[in-house]
Amino acid sequence: MKKKIYITGMHSGQNPSSGLGIARCLRRAFPDVTLVGVDHTHGSSGLHDSIINEELLLPQWSQIQDDEHAAFIRARLEEGHLWIAALDMEVYWLSKHFGTHPHLLAPNKEALEFTAKPAVKILENWPVSSSAAGEFAEFQVPDYISANLPDAEIHSFLRTHCWQCWLKSPYHDALRISSWSVFERARAYLKSNWKTSNLFLQRNVIGNEETISFAAHQGQLLGAVHLEKLQLTPEGKTWAGRVKPLDESMSQNLGQMVQQLGWTGGGELEFVRDPDGRKWIIECNPRFPAWIYGSALMGANLPGKLISHLWKLPLLEAIKPSATFTRVVYEIPTKDAVGLPRPKDPSTFTWATDGKHGKGGPSFSALLPNLEEQSTSEVVPLLPLPPANLAAEISSIALFFSEETPSRISLPLWTQQIFETLHQKVQTYCATGKPRIQIGYSVKTSPTDHHLQAAKNCGFYAECITQKEVQRALNFGFAPHQIILNGPGKFWPLTDNPITGVQLLFCDSLEEFSRVLKAKEQPKTLGLRIQLPQIHSRFGNTLSNYQDFEGLLSALQDLKRIKRQPGLAFHFHMPSWSIGLKRWIEALESFLYWCKGLEQLCDLPVHTIDLGGGYFPEDLEKLNLAALGERVHSQLPQVKTLYLEPGRSLTQESEILFTRILDIRKNKNTKANSSEARAESDTEVIKEIVVDACIAELPLAQAFPHRIFFQEAGRVPSEVARVPLGVAHVPQRKTFALAQPGKARILGRICMEDDILGQNISIPPDVQIGDLVIFGDAGGYERSMSYGFGRG
Amino acid sequence: MALDVVKKESSFQAWVEHPASHIVHHDARCCEEARMWFLGYARSMQISALSRYELRAPTWLSQLFTWGPSAWPIAWCELVKMKTLDCGVFAALAREAFTAQGFEAHPAQALLSFNPTCTTHWKGLWKKPPKNPLPEPLKDQKKEKTHATFPWIGNEVVYHELCVLEMEGNQAKFYDSTWGNWFTPDQETGFGALLALRTECPRLLHWGDKIFSYGEWIDL
Ligand SMILES: [Zn+2]
Repeated sequence: MKKKIYITGMHSGQNPSSGLGIARCLRRAFPDVTLVGVDHTHGSSGLHDSIINEELLLPQWSQIQDDEHAAFIRARLEEGHLWIAALDMEVYWLSKHFGTHPHLLAPNKEALEFTAKPAVKILENWPVSSSAAGEFAEFQVPDYISANLPDAEIHSFLRTHCWQCWLKSPYHDALRISSWSVFERARAYLKSNWKTSNLFLQRNVIGNEETISFAAHQGQLLGAVHLEKLQLTPEGKTWAGRVKPLDESMSQNLGQMVQQLGWTGGGELEFVRDPDGRKWIIECNPRFPAWIYGSALMGANLPGKLISHLWKLPLLEAIKPSATFTRVVYEIPTKDAVGLPRPKDPSTFTWATDGKHGKGGPSFSALLPNLEEQSTSEVVPLLPLPPANLAAEISSIALFFSEETPSRISLPLWTQQIFETLHQKVQTYCATGKPRIQIGYSVKTSPTDHHLQAAKNCGFYAECITQKEVQRALNFGFAPHQIILNGPGKFWPLTDNPITGVQLLFCDSLEEFSRVLKAKEQPKTLGLRIQLPQIHSRFGNTLSNYQDFEGLLSALQDLKRIKRQPGLAFHFHMPSWSIGLKRWIEALESFLYWCKGLEQLCDLPVHTIDLGGGYFPEDLEKLNLAALGERVHSQLPQVKTLYLEPGRSLTQESEILFTRILDIRKNKNTKANSSEARAESDTEVIKEIVVDACIAELPLAQAFPHRIFFQEAGRVPSEVARVPLGVAHVPQRKTFALAQPGKARILGRICMEDDILGQNISIPPDVQIGDLVIFGDAGGYERSMSYGFGRG
Repeated sequence: MALDVVKKESSFQAWVEHPASHIVHHDARCCEEARMWFLGYARSMQISALSRYELRAPTWLSQLFTWGPSAWPIAWCELVKMKTLDCGVFAALAREAFTAQGFEAHPAQALLSFNPTCTTHWKGLWKKPPKNPLPEPLKDQKKEKTHATFPWIGNEVVYHELCVLEMEGNQAKFYDSTWGNWFTPDQETGFGALLALRTECPRLLHWGDKIFSYGEWIDL
């Protein structure tokens, strides 16, 4: 009997599997071998290629009986045929349900464990290289965290990496994450599509994509090539590339890795080479890449080497030192024996193309084996407790709360602590640091009496953006020399005599600047807000073309000409929490460079710098004032005062929103024969609750994760005396609880689709209608941007 | 130069004898302001979330200016008002940006292979009057300047200016400042292939298996 080579993963579309590439390599090397194309989807295009001798279409993976399929493969292998697995998920399935066989060309379970994403542990064994820059690993792993961590930690990771991350499943798929709402959607999609909770977030690395592909048999490296991707599809798949032989040291390291893992079959190490030349590992795939025929064109036929080694067939190769290849698209006749899937009836489609996609019909994930996860992966860590003082204050208020809901309640002790902490931090810095740092409290964030009072008590100035806010600050007792006036609407409402005689005034345009120069009263310091090139903003004076720059220079000359000349200041404001702290620091450096240049060109010393606000509470805590002051001082030694204008970071945590439960909805397990239902048949789980607040009270509910607490209502034991507000006291009762991660969500009271106040949390099983749900982090913009809605 | 195709070109001698282009500085406020703006702009365009890279190529130059004919000599205070600049100005600006980042950047010149259909189009493009706005004080000089265009386009070969970086271990990195990409020492043929290169780095530079000394044209 003639021996055959079975090759799986035959679909060749815009996101091709590797099967057809492997088949073309083998046909090029061995014109007479029998190639059997295997797939589980009717529509797998590569099966129609004439180089395939036989086609084997199997049921979709979701219909595959594991034992039956394993027995089928074993029977083929026992007959001496070979089986090349070309799909990641299939290789994992084989390691779980089949094991190894001398004729199965796929890596074993241990090899898969050591090469699993994201850590790719085996690379730790590669020798460390050293250069002038120090010692470094051949491959580095970009920072990553599990997407199962508490949302606050994920939010922090995303901020740290400037909202440029990937959310990845352990096998397939990676989605770009650029905001919190994108993350939440992506997480829900990947979880349901891949039925996995092992998702992780990884920082993006900029650079050129390269890969190393190799062939090995039982730990012996048979060949390897190095590919530089030169053109990519929008999905990031290789379209054109340059193939080179692997350099010697890399080849040696790879040989050792393959040996340690006892690797069999094809494999691929994908990495990004950054502009500094460092290599960042993306993943290690347990199969040949789909572009593998491109390397055969160069003369390095890796699948050919594998078969030549196994079957002792001669293989002729003429290796070129480097060669480029590209993909093309062309039409081939289909084979009657395979046929095409019939398109679905379109009458209920949204778009005419819905049923005719390459992967139309079942979802992509249904076409791949389903790997049930080990239970260990389901362990979800508990949320870190909020700071003890914060939790104590919330619980002591919650215990005796009896007002109407929804109701926003302030936390006076916590407020005081936050303001005091910043005040102390600034004081400590100012004892030795240069320039002086002055805090301007951002009035718009929360213009309540208690916040203004807290700011005043700490000696903060009031940062206002309208004439009304200036009036409010003056009426509250701030002196004119304690007021900073900012923003495009600082003269609203229009009057003949706007207040301009403040401490610091920043103009948003050159037109405004020339008007202020003519005002009766001059601010002590007058400045311009700068809009940096590349940092997109609607505010400030642009520098993106030379004419704007010339205008700015001439405005500064005008300033020099007026009689009682105010000091010169520049303002830069980009919320670090939306552009990321690292990018913020870079933008600051660029801002200081402009200031320094303007100072030199105009021969006008810059006395004041204002860096605005927009810090996330946790980020402001981390902000190193000494380093910040030093950065400013080294570039602009004449700066006397550095202003910071926090608002959100001082107020977001300082209020909480009380709501009551209106409805409780549980999973009914109507699909009684599904596996999920069987597992949970004895407990009904709460899937969602409705509360009496809505996005009108929590407008930023979906912009960042909030801490949520539960408190039983009306069940306060009579013997517990009322604890006065502010006394630190955590009741030792189970009825007050911080919401932990889970699968439930909290819906708002209004009839709007996006009125969802909380997601991915677990709800205590014994909650009842009327119980309290308390949203933390409900101060700041949650207050000032809230609106009246649905109140009759 | 061993390459026959290059020698056939009528401007061959002019190319190999042409020094790399430099921007004029009037040593006055006009050029100081213009240069400061450019350096400030360059600094801002380097802002990146992924801030760990030392080397940040000024790929944004091609968004700021369009490639096309511009008159020589050109001063800082003139070029910042231009829409269109030629590869010599692009290369000089890229050198400024790399130098500001702390790299050793030097002029480099290249001879590239293209087909006659392409070069015909470029000749046409260079015959049109420049689109650049000419401020009043410069108008008198206009006539003299348009005549100063360098015959960079041959029949199958064109002259091009680049930027070379001197990296650790005297390794060279050639940057095409006009189109924002790096050349690799892999041998190239066909459209846009490098035929010869010259650098103005005062030290020896290695690139693949080639060695460059100051001012010497190297066949590739
Ligand atoms: Zn000048």
